[in-house]
Amino acid sequence: MEQLETFVVESPDIVGAKTTKVLIQDTLADLSLTRVIGRLKVFVDPVQPVFIFTALLRLGTPAVKLKDFANIDMGTLGKDEVKIELQREAFTVKLLNKLWEKYGKENIEQPDKKIIIVKTDPIKELDILREFVIEEPQQEVLDRLIDAVALRIIPEGFRVRKHELSTSHVLFVASEDTLKPEWIAKAKDMLESLRSEENA
Amino acid sequence: MLEPVKYVGGVYKHNHLLELVEDLGGYILQKNVMQTEVVLLMLVPINDMPIVEAKARELLGKLTRAPLTGTEIATVAPTLAYHHLPHLDCDVAEFLRQHGAKTNMVGLARGVGKRICQITAFERDLINEHDLAVFILGNYEHCIIEKSKRLYEGIEIPIVVTGAPELKTEDVPNATAYVGSFGRILHQMRHAEELRTLDKLAVVIGKVLDDVRKELAKDPPSVAPPRIKKEIEEQVQEIIDSLHPLPITLQMNGARVKLPYEEYHEQIENIKFVEGVTMKEVARVLPSKMRNFILIKALPKSETGFVI
Repeated sequence: MEQLETFVVESPDIVGAKTTKVLIQDTLADLSLTRVIGRLKVFVDPVQPVFIFTALLRLGTPAVKLKDFANIDMGTLGKDEVKIELQREAFTVKLLNKLWEKYGKENIEQPDKKIIIVKTDPIKELDILREFVIEEPQQEVLDRLIDAVALRIIPEGFRVRKHELSTSHVLFVASEDTLKPEWIAKAKDMLESLRSEENA
Repeated sequence: MLEPVKYVGGVYKHNHLLELVEDLGGYILQKNVMQTEVVLLMLVPINDMPIVEAKARELLGKLTRAPLTGTEIATVAPTLAYHHLPHLDCDVAEFLRQHGAKTNMVGLARGVGKRICQITAFERDLINEHDLAVFILGNYEHCIIEKSKRLYEGIEIPIVVTGAPELKTEDVPNATAYVGSFGRILHQMRHAEELRTLDKLAVVIGKVLDDVRKELAKDPPSVAPPRIKKEIEEQVQEIIDSLHPLPITLQMNGARVKLPYEEYHEQIENIKFVEGVTMKEVARVLPSKMRNFILIKALPKSETGFVI
């Protein structure tokens, strides 16, 4: 699917809409988010004042867990340890850092390039380690997206905000004054229209 | 009448030009040596320009008019957030610097929003110490107009406002001039069109400052700011060791001296001119709002009765 199939900035202020569009493009490019957003619709009315940002997301790969690239087993019989046998070395550095953080450096041993021994209670920890999240590309992208929208795109004075964020969509309503229900309804409508375009 | 000019050329033999300008009665305001290149900002007597131009040609350097030379400009952003920095504000500040002005960037603490924006007394006083303030505002016509109604309260120096829409100056309340096609830009301004916009800003600021100069000429300062700079350099040795950029910053009717006020104000007040007057007779030596620097404001002729 193409990136940014819809990219509309609506505003009664035509010049403002044009510059806001350039501004959003710049921000998304700066934070390498152009590939993440599928459809985007923004409405700004400085007189009311309200800023609505809605987008459909296309997030990449889900979180990487330890079981995805390693075999996790009991260690030597009679000892309190878990043996991790790596199949791919790509995540070793990240994995070691996370293990050190969780169990302490003194409890981690690496006798071989592809074997890591964790000194802990295997019965309790085995399943936890299998589901241990090493990398969260989606979460990282969402963090960047919040940075882009909340901290860079929405005008700074618009301090009253309502947001919705999921792996499929993002919705922000911001204003200088108390939010009106019709603005939130309009935001939902905009999101719906994006969805119907997507499904058409 | 002194002409503000900028010289860009090689380091080799550039002292010939320095000496020539000094001999002609001009002033060297700033000298920047960058590896093998040197940039000089100077004030040259207008009648002697052909001689200086000939010398510059001989040294294979370039001489251009820099109308903003000898002024201190504040570029004011509503806050110091991503919304304004680094791109647009730094571009504007750097561009004005290239035209000879000394620019200071000011970020307001509570300058956001059109209804909730505020300026503190300290910020207002700090901005008032400059010759001109450039307020860099955003994208929407309504916001720029609403904000202008309250944000510049108490600012007595000329105010130039920038923003996205093309508005007339009369439509922007309290502004001395307005320049469009700016807005909130989050990339470096380097396309031809954007550079033209910056040029336009420099021209507008030049015009505003020329008007101020005309006003000043009606009641001229008793001592010319370059003269203040020269005497301080000769009589206060410590200024040579100051590592601040431009230890003596010229303004249109005074100067900012980057030395602590408590220790040096008496020494500066007692500086003697060859005409037989001291600094305190021709200028006010005040504490500056910027750090603990010294601000010198020349007294007008109407107050002292003479010009040196």
